Amino acid sequence: MEGSTITLDGSIALVVEFFNYSVNSILFQRAVYPPEDFTVKKKYGLNILVTINDELQLYMKQVCSQLEAWLTPGKISKLVLVIKDKDTAEVVERWQFDIHVHDKSDQAGGMTMNTASKSTGDIYKEIQAIMRQITASVTFLPILEDKCTFNILVYADEDVQVPTTWEDSDPNLIAGGGEHVKLRSFDTSMHKIDALVAYRVMDDA
Amino acid sequence: MGSPSARKSSTARSSVTSSTTKSATGRQTILPFVPVSKSQAVALPLSPARKNTNVNPLLDTKALNYSPVQSNSSLKQTSLLSRLKSVKAHSTSSVPKVATKENQLTSSSQPSADLTSSTGPRRTLKRSNSAFSSLDIVGKDWLQNAPTKRSCKVNNKTHYDRFIPNRDGMNLASSQFNLSNDSKSQYLDRASQEYKERVAQACGIVPGQRILAFKAKPPTSDKEDLRKYFNPMMKTSTSTSSQRRILTAPEKILDAPGMLDDFYLNLLDWSSLNVIAIALHKSIYLWNADTGDIKPLNYESNTNTIASLSWSSDGSYLAVGTSDGDTQVWDVETNTKLRSMTGHESRVGVLSWDKHIVSSGARDGSIYHHDVRVAQHKIAELHGHTDEVCGLEWRSDGMLLASGGNDNLVNIWDARNTKPKFTKASHNAAVKAMAWCPWNLNLLATGGGTSDKHVHFWNTTTTARLHSIYTGSQVSSIVWSTQYKELVTSHGLPNNHLSVWEYPTLKKVIDVPAHDSRILHTAISPDGQVIASAAADENLKFWRVFENIDKGKISKKEEVSKLVSAGKKQGQARRSMSIR
Repeated sequence: MEGSTITLDGSIALVVEFFNYSVNSILFQRAVYPPEDFTVKKKYGLNILVTINDELQLYMKQVCSQLEAWLTPGKISKLVLVIKDKDTAEVVERWQFDIHVHDKSDQAGGMTMNTASKSTGDIYKEIQAIMRQITASVTFLPILEDKCTFNILVYADEDVQVPTTWEDSDPNLIAGGGEHVKLRSFDTSMHKIDALVAYRVMDDA
Repeated sequence: MGSPSARKSSTARSSVTSSTTKSATGRQTILPFVPVSKSQAVALPLSPARKNTNVNPLLDTKALNYSPVQSNSSLKQTSLLSRLKSVKAHSTSSVPKVATKENQLTSSSQPSADLTSSTGPRRTLKRSNSAFSSLDIVGKDWLQNAPTKRSCKVNNKTHYDRFIPNRDGMNLASSQFNLSNDSKSQYLDRASQEYKERVAQACGIVPGQRILAFKAKPPTSDKEDLRKYFNPMMKTSTSTSSQRRILTAPEKILDAPGMLDDFYLNLLDWSSLNVIAIALHKSIYLWNADTGDIKPLNYESNTNTIASLSWSSDGSYLAVGTSDGDTQVWDVETNTKLRSMTGHESRVGVLSWDKHIVSSGARDGSIYHHDVRVAQHKIAELHGHTDEVCGLEWRSDGMLLASGGNDNLVNIWDARNTKPKFTKASHNAAVKAMAWCPWNLNLLATGGGTSDKHVHFWNTTTTARLHSIYTGSQVSSIVWSTQYKELVTSHGLPNNHLSVWEYPTLKKVIDVPAHDSRILHTAISPDGQVIASAAADENLKFWRVFENIDKGKISKKEEVSKLVSAGKKQGQARRSMSIR
């Protein structure tokens, strides 16, 4: 059974890894960073563009390590990548990943294997589908004409331990609600991740 | 329907998020009320009207184990508390029993507010001594399922003033802990909870959650994303940058008294050292555009007026053609005449330099080449015109010379030949205006006089006429821009204007009404931005027609020297130049 099913630790690592890759992919696809800052890497059976910008790598590393720390006790319910206009700070896009933790009691009781546990390969296939959708989303998302920056938000429980590098924030919703497109989800049998992208609708004058 | 007290207490808490709790998750719900109740609890013992009063056994036994010692009261507290209770009574009116009892209570306490020793206030006060708000007490008092246990540690060490709560005496942490641990308590004030949820919802907050953002700013990448250039939806370049404004007002006006109103003369030239030479009747003035200094040239003659002027390419020598056919070379630095080169039998109306050669065009239609270095200066005679030569222009590489005359002809001369390379007779009037294109060596523009009013563009390699413009007015001079693909023509009647044309579209950019009478001469500044025009109205005016808008100010000096070397001939002294 080793390797074919997933433990809680493995599930968390998978979720964090997925988040890292999807953020990288989005930053490339949405041209938040120039293409020179990215290199192709094989992952999930796909060619995914990951950053080679040292500062960005460090930034993502810091975020991911904290996510891991929060996911272990199951303290966070949403991860959000907010793309903002650099000058006006207006939110133009919001990539949201909802995290549903299965069977809390099951986890607490020493990581007993779920009956419906999946193999890593199956999960990778599901992740692959999301990644493809992220890439494909460029076709319908509006072009970001102005220079953009991003921010990472986490919806956490109230009693979560917050390091000094994080701060309370408003939800950074898109003004006027925007258009929402639900992407696929994946399930590690510990965590279920739903992906959603919301974007600002430009009124065609 | 949130009660005022509930609102007050909720605002007392700094954050809605932290104060909102879900009864569904079994969290403590009365958290928001803590500050209010505490201040009350603290306030009691310090009151001036401190009194030990009898404990009402009925209340005392009821669910709350408060010590009688703390049931001290003051008038004001009583009224305040009773008010709170009356409010609460209304909000809990769903339970009739409660409502009536509460009403009784308040009604009894209100009259007793005046009487310090009455039992009414004491009763109410007593109950308010808890660490909880009066609201909760009421609820607990009158509901069957009211929790029986409360931590009241705070009360034991409270000293208070009504207005200045003494928080030293309370253990905030422990009381809050106790409160939040009381899982049995219900959120009774449904309205206020609902209110809070609505506020939270309006703010986009899910109660019981915090939204955290990673504080650090994401790194910026300075590299430009070239992908946007592939996108046809991007803004086109029809924006402000390509648009320049040509002012129709002159930048400067100088007086030029004694300017001869003669179309066939050439009395104005601008040197590469930014000095303007202008001939006014029998004298020549040098106006330094950098400093504004005016220096008269030591030209002295009682009989001969000046017919033409031309700067050498380095700007240190001035060739002067006189009305008696003399061609002189002046050193402007020492202000002395270097030599006189005679030969023409009539006035020399036009001069043009090519390195060490000065070409002079005379009224009899002859053109001489003078080598200024040798004693036998005349090295060639060109006879291609039958009437006065009024336009003469060497190409910047010195290979071709263009000449125009009052015989309406345009001749192109090869420098090695004394026969014209070709002759054009397309103009119907004297051809004074002629200019070689700075970016296309083959291209020559010529303009005709009053009865012609045309500008023709010639390919001097193929000899073909490329374009023509009808200007509607006498063309007295043509100047190509070194900055834009444009040219300026100057005109006489009726408008005495300058026209700016795009090339090769030949679209008119602007007409600048310039002078009161016909424009005779124009010259362009060495930085290529300003046009000077001299007219029969005895004014010398400066127009910033080709303003350099795209280039940054830092590189301006460099640009200027670059333009000088590009626009004029090479091997000249470089200096930054501008007109101010």
